[in-house]
Amino acid sequence: MAEQPLISLRGLTREYRMDAETVYALRGIELAIGTNEYVAIMGPSGSGKSTLMNVIGCLDTPTRGEYWLNGTEVSRMSDDELARVRNREIGFVFQTFNLLPRATALHNVELPLIYAGTSARERRRAASRALERVGLADRMHHRPNELSGGQRQRVAIARALVNDPSILLADEPTGNLDSVTSQEIMAVFGELHTQGQTVLMVTHEADIAAHAHRVVTLLDGVVHSDSVREAA
Amino acid sequence: MPLFDGLRLALREISAHKLRSFFTLLGIIVSVAFLVAVVAVIQGMNAYVRENLAGAIVGKNAFQIRRTPISVGFIDDEEYRELQRRPIIRAEEVEFVRRAIPDAQAIALQSGWPTPLADVTWRNRTVGDVAVFGVTAPYQMVQDYEMAAGEALIDLDIDDRRRVAVLGFDVADKLFDEIDLAIGRKIRVRGQEVVVKGVTAKKGTVLGQSWDGFVMLPITLFETTYGRRHTTVISVKMPEAYQVASAMERAEEAMRVARRLRPGQPNTFTIDTAEGLISFWKSLTRIIFTVVPAVVAIGVIVGGIVIMNIMLMSVTERTREIGIRKSVGASRADIQRQFLMESICLATMGGLLGILAGWGLAEVVAILSPLPSRVTLWSVALALGLGIGVGVLFGVYPARRAARLDPIVALRFE
Repeated sequence: MAEQPLISLRGLTREYRMDAETVYALRGIELAIGTNEYVAIMGPSGSGKSTLMNVIGCLDTPTRGEYWLNGTEVSRMSDDELARVRNREIGFVFQTFNLLPRATALHNVELPLIYAGTSARERRRAASRALERVGLADRMHHRPNELSGGQRQRVAIARALVNDPSILLADEPTGNLDSVTSQEIMAVFGELHTQGQTVLMVTHEADIAAHAHRVVTLLDGVVHSDSVREAA
Repeated sequence: MPLFDGLRLALREISAHKLRSFFTLLGIIVSVAFLVAVVAVIQGMNAYVRENLAGAIVGKNAFQIRRTPISVGFIDDEEYRELQRRPIIRAEEVEFVRRAIPDAQAIALQSGWPTPLADVTWRNRTVGDVAVFGVTAPYQMVQDYEMAAGEALIDLDIDDRRRVAVLGFDVADKLFDEIDLAIGRKIRVRGQEVVVKGVTAKKGTVLGQSWDGFVMLPITLFETTYGRRHTTVISVKMPEAYQVASAMERAEEAMRVARRLRPGQPNTFTIDTAEGLISFWKSLTRIIFTVVPAVVAIGVIVGGIVIMNIMLMSVTERTREIGIRKSVGASRADIQRQFLMESICLATMGGLLGILAGWGLAEVVAILSPLPSRVTLWSVALALGLGIGVGVLFGVYPARRAARLDPIVALRFE
């Protein structure tokens, strides 16, 4: 494992103020994730796994503690700096796919590159390549409503991959899919991992988490267990 | 995000809701169309006054020596009293002017506007409310009258106070079955018998008003019936336009001599060209030009608020889209630019459609009414500027709202 982990969380705390009450979503997370790890984050609802996902994905910032990504501290960054980190370092896959409904698969995949300022030709080439990687080369010009759930999630994965992110973040990626399709999607993640992609996945399903090589369990905003599976 | 991508995105968004976009823009379209159309009609009338009306009243390359200025406009009591004290233009003064301007093409004395109206009768036919002028023979040259039939008035007709008349084309056309039949007929003008000597060729209409409905009498005959009019004027026509200015100076000098005005005493007459008429007209249109922007401003503000509302609605509708865009790396500035671009495109389209509609409206007005119209570049530019301005002004708030959305909340939005 590399000397410096890809992700390093130190005493990460996130609290929400609701009226007079303070709700602690995360209370001092200590976690390090290295390059090319395949980590599943589990835990019951309310354990803070979604908040942790948002913080790691730079959609949210911690109240206290440090978050180092790729050697830079992102926990104190401004909104626009975070946007740039999301654009360059992070690829999101959501439970509800979150594709633009009126745009074609190709355009959806191009989206991160538009904000990266990539030229139109380069965008098209990169997006096509990403769609090919997830096996959707023949569906590039379809809109989301012309695609099955599994195909939509593949488009979302292609979009997450297109900017060559340091880390692929998946939030319940199979939550809206049937079991057969879920296995297909998990096979895609597995394939990406073997190609060297770091994958971090939030799930509450044990059989989905079983695809990962390391399972981190949260409980009440702290790391409850952290087990590395000896496999492969 | 590059500008071109933003523009394409905005246009796609607008064309995805064509009907909604159209109704959003209605306020802008109507206001801009109103602006363009009204300005076009006024500008058209300005040009018309300059090119047709002024020339028709005063004559080409001509000026008038008058008791009061053409542009009565807006004057105070003091000035008004001064004008009322001025003496009437006398026939003898024509001689002074003639001596001062030997190079004139024609110098005439005429009864002037406003002029009495009278019924003109031939046998059992009557034409009512015909304008009656008293003129000297050169007046026909000042006005460039061509004769359709018969002959023009000559100096002898005036000197001998002959009972003759020259009819405008329309009057002859209504009284007689054929224009040629008019010559030599005895007609009655306000009961007075006169012989038709000639009929002028058609001059056409000005602002829908026929320019051919008159009877010209020798001014000497005219004054036996109507007396010497306060409106009597001397017209001077020069062969070329460049000679007008110097002729006007000499006419002024001649008139001062004729009236024995001492140096320092003000003129008791006015020397006017068609410019006077044009400036009077312009002072009228200036009022319209101060009212129109106010009306347009109200319309544009209301139109802008409609755009703002629709954009706010659009931001809410597309909350999830905004969340998605932010999650893949769109900055606040990116989102703000996207929505601002959309409202600018929207408002600019409104401006363009308004210009087209206003242009069309002006053309329709020009075709259906005697009012001419002329679409001017500055009104089009102003309309377009208004559109873009409204887009920016009323697009900023919705765009900022969109830019400030929390991506986590936005992504969860249903």
